[in-house]
Amino acid sequence: MHILVCLKQVLDQEIAARAFRVNRAERRADVPGAALVMSIFDANALEVALRLRDAAGAGSTVTALSLGSRQAEDVLRKALAVTANKAILLSDTALESLDPAGVGTAIAAAVRRLEADGSPVDVVLTGRQAGDWEHGETGGMLAEALGWPCLTFVSRLRPANGGLEARREVEDGHEVIMARPPLVVTITNDETNQLRMSKVRDVMQAHRTPISTWGIAELGLDSAQLAPRTDVVDLVIPEGESRCELIEGETPGDKAAALARRLRELNVL
Amino acid sequence: MTMKALVVARSQSLKAARELLGAARTLGGPVTAFCLGSDAASAAEDLRTHGADEILWWDDPAFDASPGEAGFQVLQRACAETAPALVLFAADSAGRDWAPRLAWRLEAGLVTECVGWEVDGAGRLRFKRPVYGGKAMATIVSRHPVQMAVVQPGSFAAPSPVPNPRGTVRRFECIVTGQAESWPRVVERAVEAAGGPALGDAAIIVAGGRGLGGAENFKLLEDLARVLSAAVGASRAAVDEGWAPTSWQIGQTGKSVRPDLYLAIGISGASQHLAGVTRAKTIVAINTDKDAPIFGTARLGVVGDYREILPPLVATLREMLGR
Repeated sequence: MHILVCLKQVLDQEIAARAFRVNRAERRADVPGAALVMSIFDANALEVALRLRDAAGAGSTVTALSLGSRQAEDVLRKALAVTANKAILLSDTALESLDPAGVGTAIAAAVRRLEADGSPVDVVLTGRQAGDWEHGETGGMLAEALGWPCLTFVSRLRPANGGLEARREVEDGHEVIMARPPLVVTITNDETNQLRMSKVRDVMQAHRTPISTWGIAELGLDSAQLAPRTDVVDLVIPEGESRCELIEGETPGDKAAALARRLRELNVL
Repeated sequence: MTMKALVVARSQSLKAARELLGAARTLGGPVTAFCLGSDAASAAEDLRTHGADEILWWDDPAFDASPGEAGFQVLQRACAETAPALVLFAADSAGRDWAPRLAWRLEAGLVTECVGWEVDGAGRLRFKRPVYGGKAMATIVSRHPVQMAVVQPGSFAAPSPVPNPRGTVRRFECIVTGQAESWPRVVERAVEAAGGPALGDAAIIVAGGRGLGGAENFKLLEDLARVLSAAVGASRAAVDEGWAPTSWQIGQTGKSVRPDLYLAIGISGASQHLAGVTRAKTIVAINTDKDAPIFGTARLGVVGDYREILPPLVATLREMLGR
């Protein structure tokens, strides 16, 4: 089984709200010195990919793919360091500032290119949404671009009955879904899919593994196919004021009593 | 300006569908509601009484087995027949699943996690949505004539029933075609038993985070929840640790909630969590770290160890509320 997992590099999601800034004119986040990290749900998707590969048996591989600047190689190195088998970076000036439809188009082209190269993909995994713009659209649009079914909000995926069994998280519980590749699956977090730590030996190996870099020429795309369907016309920091009243007290019991009293005084209870 | 709108509804998210209906009606054009899935007929009647001009409903065993395929196919046909300029979905597991794929097919401009909109001079909607875990707010417009949005529950006021509903209700005649046997198939649905009210509707929520330090400590929260008739929720960190089921997760990536009172216990207040509680009326935080971001959002804060504070709090409230 050949699993392709899509990993986006995003601004560190742990940046505190008070340190967060935007460049309103360019409608983008602007936090100098902030770290770039693997988007959280993509890290969950990577873990699901590795587990699926190991459960699917000999000959199964995980290819990690990222779309972004040269710097996005960092998330691919991280994926290789947790034993992803191959890595591909989609990088090109024409691939900058895509909307989710453009990203779906570009990744679909990469899947077709892999097939043409003799490495057809069975399953594509993405995070349920990226940790920056949080669209939650790329997986579904990619599935449409490929003409494949799409499963969303999946936390676990394993081979079963010649196909795949997915656990999909819904509002009041979960669904178990049986499906056959080819498939696109978007991944949400649960306690089973936290990304593993890398081993020192694998980190060393990861630095020696070549990363393929494809631009739109290699993908057989022209920039007209990547035109956005939406425009971001404004980006601002929402106003908020702190008015937190700290409850004081000598003992925990005093604090508890004071809190109960204030809740009543504020007509909350 | 009249903009023909289509509201996609399910009986499981009827409250959200009413809000979408009310919001769409303010735009002045005709509003069609399309109800899919179990109890679609009764959902259709409900949306009629809330002022939809036309209500289509469709229910079929194929939907229950493969909502992602059968439901999606029928949804496309309903769009082809009604030719809406605006399609609205509730931000739930179905709306978030269908919308990106439908937007692709219709070449529509899609905005997800929408929390509101303005209408510009050209009659286009300027959709508002939080990004970066709620640390920034973006305004997005569609380049294409068909506009589509997935809207967070609670973003718009629910409409009151109209005095003389004039909408027409009809079953949408549609036979699903294709190789159903090769489609992804739901073989089991498991409802995670949660005592007390559902998170989305709860007036009071007690939620725990990484600061709880272990699954067993949720018991203390459950004691508090029982006294307050509250629902129990969790931050992503607590879910990741396996201390709480995914269905309890609150935040940008879990449920958006809108209780009157939200008690955040051992939750530091990462932006993505706070983005899910922006509509809570009063937030109370209990945390050992006085610098935790949660205190920037809370109305009342207690700096201290919840393990020492909750037992006397439960006792005090039990007495105060006579429970």
